[in-house]
Amino acid sequence: MRPLPRRISIRRITRTHPPLGLALLVIAMLAAAACVGFNNPEGWAGPTVAADDLLVVSTDKGELSALDLVPESGPQCDNSTDDDEDGWVNEGCPSAGAKAERGKECANSTGDDAVNDIPDDDKINDGCPAAVPIWTFPTGQEDPEIDLEAIYTTPQIIGDTVYLGGYSGDVYALRLDDGMKKWSFDTDDNIIAGLAVSETTVYVGTDDGLLYALDLETGLEEDNPNNPFDAGAGIWGRPLLVEDVIYVASVNGKLYALDAETLDPIWDAPFEAERGLISDPVLADGTILVGGFDRTLHAVDAASGEERRWSFKADDWFWGKPLVLDGTVYAPNLDGNLYALSLETGAERWSFEAEEPLRSVPILTDDALVIVDRKGNVYGLDPENGNRIWSRTGEDGIEKTVLSNPITDPSALEVEVFISAQGGDLFRIDPAAGSFVKVVTP
Amino acid sequence: MSGSAPAAPTVSRPNLGSMLMIAIVVTIVGAFVVLGPGFAWNNLLMNPLINALLLLTNLLGGQFGLAIIVFTIILRVVTIPFTLRQLQSTRAMQEMQPRMQELQKKYKDPKRRQQETMKLYKETGINPLGCIMPMAIQMLMFIALYRALAFVVGGSPESLVGLSQRVYDWSYLTQSVPLEQSFLWLELGQADNTFILPLMVGVSTYVQTKLAQTPSSTPQQQQQQQMMTWMMPLVMVWITLSLPSGVGVYWVVSNIFSVFASYLVYGRSMSWRNLLPMPAATPSKKPSPKMQANVQEEAETAASSNPQEARSAHGKRRGKRKKRR
Repeated sequence: MRPLPRRISIRRITRTHPPLGLALLVIAMLAAAACVGFNNPEGWAGPTVAADDLLVVSTDKGELSALDLVPESGPQCDNSTDDDEDGWVNEGCPSAGAKAERGKECANSTGDDAVNDIPDDDKINDGCPAAVPIWTFPTGQEDPEIDLEAIYTTPQIIGDTVYLGGYSGDVYALRLDDGMKKWSFDTDDNIIAGLAVSETTVYVGTDDGLLYALDLETGLEEDNPNNPFDAGAGIWGRPLLVEDVIYVASVNGKLYALDAETLDPIWDAPFEAERGLISDPVLADGTILVGGFDRTLHAVDAASGEERRWSFKADDWFWGKPLVLDGTVYAPNLDGNLYALSLETGAERWSFEAEEPLRSVPILTDDALVIVDRKGNVYGLDPENGNRIWSRTGEDGIEKTVLSNPITDPSALEVEVFISAQGGDLFRIDPAAGSFVKVVTP
Repeated sequence: MSGSAPAAPTVSRPNLGSMLMIAIVVTIVGAFVVLGPGFAWNNLLMNPLINALLLLTNLLGGQFGLAIIVFTIILRVVTIPFTLRQLQSTRAMQEMQPRMQELQKKYKDPKRRQQETMKLYKETGINPLGCIMPMAIQMLMFIALYRALAFVVGGSPESLVGLSQRVYDWSYLTQSVPLEQSFLWLELGQADNTFILPLMVGVSTYVQTKLAQTPSSTPQQQQQQQMMTWMMPLVMVWITLSLPSGVGVYWVVSNIFSVFASYLVYGRSMSWRNLLPMPAATPSKKPSPKMQANVQEEAETAASSNPQEARSAHGKRRGKRKKRR
């Protein structure tokens, strides 16, 4: 009897038994497919400007940081002293790509980056961090461990507290100065919508369609028989709080107007669209603007909810929050178009087609209407006619996935636009020229 | 199964199935070349699959889990010619192993052995790649379906942004968006933490692999088969643990379908007793030289006769099989 061969090699198998060899190939392909991942949530929280030149932004998946926005710059980068007396040296110096100084090289005033002992440029501290994280949440040291999974809610800052919701379903109140947790509340479902915050209450909508009203100070559910309010299906758009009314859109296509204190419906019946409503509702001139899966931007009478003043149909979903200024609605659409519509009639004034879908809200500055598409292409448009003033596309663009809402704060940021990309990269855009710089953090 | 006589090797001939498969392959390759890989992949495979899944979901009352099951069945029915051809080719290759062993013993020179092997393939009309093409097409479909599920299941809000680009301009399709992910005990967009589904995938893969096996003609072959019988289910369990349950549901249904397909090909020669772990190879299990000689003689007879005769012999065998049923 011939003994069994002890060695089984892939080569032997493929040679003597092609089907088995092919099966091995199939296994390898399946394993590779499994490793590719399956659209794990990344988050699209936008940045928020806080007082004292702090920017609160998601700097990594499931992580929130407060960044110092007034770092050293210009000549301050050419020395090794703490010129702005904030405890950091050269924390605001620009990044210069691969030929940049890093780490200890930032702690002196010499151009000490070199390749094979030969200086690669004559710049000093050209790779040093441009923003300083004051704190990060979660720290990873919490017990029990906190895992937000991802952050879709743009943080809200009221007084000395930062409020945010994690995709994991937890709502947190953090101290603005050090990021320490004040309280948390578990909703038991994913949080995709942003938070609405009043002077006394935090409103949070969840993916199972419940709108919770939480006490601002304690995080406890407010004592109210209607709390939480059941919208019937997932709440993906940030609830809109206007005085004592809160408007809530749901993916079952219904838009509710609720008494902010009692959560009682105000309208006789909710406004109902054909498909789910997913954009953040916006109120302008007595009209609620909200869009969704029916590829339509709806203009709903805020007083009654019954009368549809107008609606505008596009080629894809309206997921981005519209911007309303001076009687014009600037509505981003996933078909890649930014539509400028008359607030009064819904008539299209102009449209601009970006290269990729638009989900981020447009930002109007003194110089241009700034929009950014999903692939990080940035455009500066003339708000009057939609003509392109400048654009940074392809390799000249951000080259990152951008689904969050940019921000601008002329008073604090000296007319700059901040764009937060997926993965935590932050960019500051000059809306006059379209130039941008990545905000580097240590 | 173990008691069945080895069938004659499959003789390839320019039948309708072959022509159809060649036409499909040429069409796919041609489309990828002419339209570009990205465009062809998205517009010929991904988008139709995604929209079909959405349509089925709506037709089935928004039950996405049911839609995956029905979709898998439809997909497997449509591709059953490929499945059957693959099984038949696999079987023919396995049944030719005794003759291959003979060649390996007879010719020590690798070049000569390769020449003789190719000659044997030519004589018997077996295309060694005959089972690769159907499996490759199925793999292509699987990967497309995997990616389609990634969009449709929507494991994250971001995936829905991608989905919107792929849904056809027919409002009915988005009626169920976002899809209901709860199905039985599963959340279709998330991995099954109860381990029930991975276990079902593992067991069904084991059954499917085991039932599709033909008797091993050599100890090496038996050992290889044993290895594959255990490795494949374990890998599938591991993969299912890391993927959304929707993909696992697809695998379970697909495996059950494959069991029926195996039954179609192997008929009564498929023994359910094969499900039991295979005993270690013993001399008594090894095919006798006489049996191998018979196989060789049978194949040589078929090869030496003209193609018409070869087709007749094959046709008779198929007829017998049908009669047995």
